[in-house]
Amino acid sequence: MSLKRVGILLGKEFWQSPKNFIFVWALAGPIILSLVVSLAFGTLFTDKPKLGIMDEGSSQLVTMFKQSTSVITKEYGSISEIRQAVESGAVDIGMVLPHDFDGSVTRGEEIEVTAYVWGESLAKNRIILEVTILNLVRELAGHEAPVEIVAITLGGDVSVPWSDRLLPFIVLMTIFMGGLLLPGMSVINEKEKKTLEGLVVTPATIGDVFVAKGLLGVSLSLFMGVAILVLNQAFGAEPGILLLVLALGAIMAAELGLLLGALVKDTTTLFAVWKFGGILLFGPALLYMFPEIPEWIGKIFPTYYFIQPIVEISQGSGGWADVATNVFILVALDLILIAVVAFALRRTQQHAV
Amino acid sequence: MNLRAIGALISKDFFLFFRNRFFALMTALGIFFYLAIYFLMPSSVDETLVIGLYAPVMPPAFELTEEEGLEFQMAESEVALKEAVIEGEYLAGIALPADIMDRFASGQKPRVNVYFASSVPEEMKDGVVVLIEELAYQETGLGLEASEPEILGPDMMGMQIPPRDRMRPLFAVFIMLFEVFGLAVLISEEVERRTIQALLVTPMTLKDLFAAKGAVGMTLAFGQAVLFMGIVGGMSQQPLIILATLLLGGVLVTGVGFLLAALGKDMMSVMGWFVIALVILVIPSFGVVFPGTVSGWAKVIPSYYLVDTVHRVSNFGAGWGDIGYNLLILLGFAVALVWIGIIALRRKLQ
Repeated sequence: MSLKRVGILLGKEFWQSPKNFIFVWALAGPIILSLVVSLAFGTLFTDKPKLGIMDEGSSQLVTMFKQSTSVITKEYGSISEIRQAVESGAVDIGMVLPHDFDGSVTRGEEIEVTAYVWGESLAKNRIILEVTILNLVRELAGHEAPVEIVAITLGGDVSVPWSDRLLPFIVLMTIFMGGLLLPGMSVINEKEKKTLEGLVVTPATIGDVFVAKGLLGVSLSLFMGVAILVLNQAFGAEPGILLLVLALGAIMAAELGLLLGALVKDTTTLFAVWKFGGILLFGPALLYMFPEIPEWIGKIFPTYYFIQPIVEISQGSGGWADVATNVFILVALDLILIAVVAFALRRTQQHAV
Repeated sequence: MNLRAIGALISKDFFLFFRNRFFALMTALGIFFYLAIYFLMPSSVDETLVIGLYAPVMPPAFELTEEEGLEFQMAESEVALKEAVIEGEYLAGIALPADIMDRFASGQKPRVNVYFASSVPEEMKDGVVVLIEELAYQETGLGLEASEPEILGPDMMGMQIPPRDRMRPLFAVFIMLFEVFGLAVLISEEVERRTIQALLVTPMTLKDLFAAKGAVGMTLAFGQAVLFMGIVGGMSQQPLIILATLLLGGVLVTGVGFLLAALGKDMMSVMGWFVIALVILVIPSFGVVFPGTVSGWAKVIPSYYLVDTVHRVSNFGAGWGDIGYNLLILLGFAVALVWIGIIALRRKLQ
């Protein structure tokens, strides 16, 4: 293997790849997905009941609802708007506060409040909203709760918000989209256009070609992996270990990409494999999305040993001691894959020559 | 129309599509995994707040609470209550003091310990605290009477739609689009390799060609969607409407497939356009999975009428009268898209 030739080939790959859809998608996709998750999913997956209010006067209750942590409050300008919001499920309960609502509450008068309930709203959401409304109305009237409540938290598990639960999926997608598809696609393209045979008759060996393509995948996915962790404010703790794990993950992705490139005949089949194999790659992400799934299931997937250290460090404040075993397993997997790729490469070389 | 030529072309396309045994296997496995995801998801919705209660003396307000969505389960001791909370049996554990009634009677505030597992979200903790305060108000005779609200839409309390059933339209759209992606690649490659032009110098006409390609796209998209919906029970209510909707959906995505084939030069460019089409066509499904997130503008997206119909029929048992308008619009969109796709492909061929 000649480092000079690998460098030249790598330069060519960097020059040609930005014209490739996968390259662009590997750069843009994770960033878009990450932004969508942080912007939209922050409230989309929340269990908080949603309350819609249309205030015909200027009640203090609206501000009190907005300050309440147990519900999400949205304000609407007209009765038709609030009805529509309830009908579509944008809010669980919609409430129309009449003129001088606060005055009537303070005077202890009976008030007629129009309220709408979304038919598909969960019973527990309805209860929480109902008691929150009553509670805040009492607060507005100046009543004091006749009970002293002491909330005590037990156990060590922490509730993980959905935006955090989705981070492992985003990181896996980032690393494997660029790291696997780009080298795989690149090798297959060369095979389809018969340029691989052309390259083999030059001083460059097929090993040089594969290493150059693999390095492109590793560089892109490592760069994007760091970018995504930074974007999600998850790169602060132990950046050295995170960088190491990201690099090992990127190597695994590139190895799998090269393996597919060596074994698969055409792009259609590559995408068919991606369609099915995606489940195997992204399986561990489900583990973090739904913590009820037993952890041992995740260990069946090779990508678990990449994503577990990332999550442990970035979200669980873990250190080297907590992730060392899995990092060593990841290194072992990378080494095994190198051997498998080398074997497949020899086979490809025999076909190419 | 030359039916024999169309038949031959359809068989050739299917042969090409499944020539690669691995590809055929992957297509089958694709369906299998969609099914696996569906069946792994919870089949019911837990809409009840299960709260543990340790009460040496039971205040009547707690005893009489029989609201749907709230369930108190008695614990034998405060220690047992805490253990059950840690084990996740209850959302929260309320330990009432033995002198609670005396304190209420003397106008003093009783102290109530509420235990939460640390995994319980903050909003739920706040909700439970507010709930206990409300019960205490009722116990001290300060209960407020709330008037009956108007329920909009069918009241699903106690019979909520599980998330996996909400996802059925999303899965159906995914399955259909992914199969049509294969068709688009097949056509674009034929255009690029000029095999289509070669076909047109035979007795086969352009009409025959589009009929054959359309039939392939339809069979792939419709067939797999029907198979999926059949297995997941999506056709247990109004199967004819679901079949008609999926059929129109199949025509719609075939039109999309023609357009993708016309726009793309090779697999990669088809892929690029496919991702854009996928993102747009999947948006209405999110309105079903996450109600209220997609507003009225989604109605301009053709797949809205496919998704909305599948959702309303399979989850609410809507009939022809309820979704007839949807089917008409879907038919309109499907015909328009196939027509635009054919025009675009014809221009490309010329």
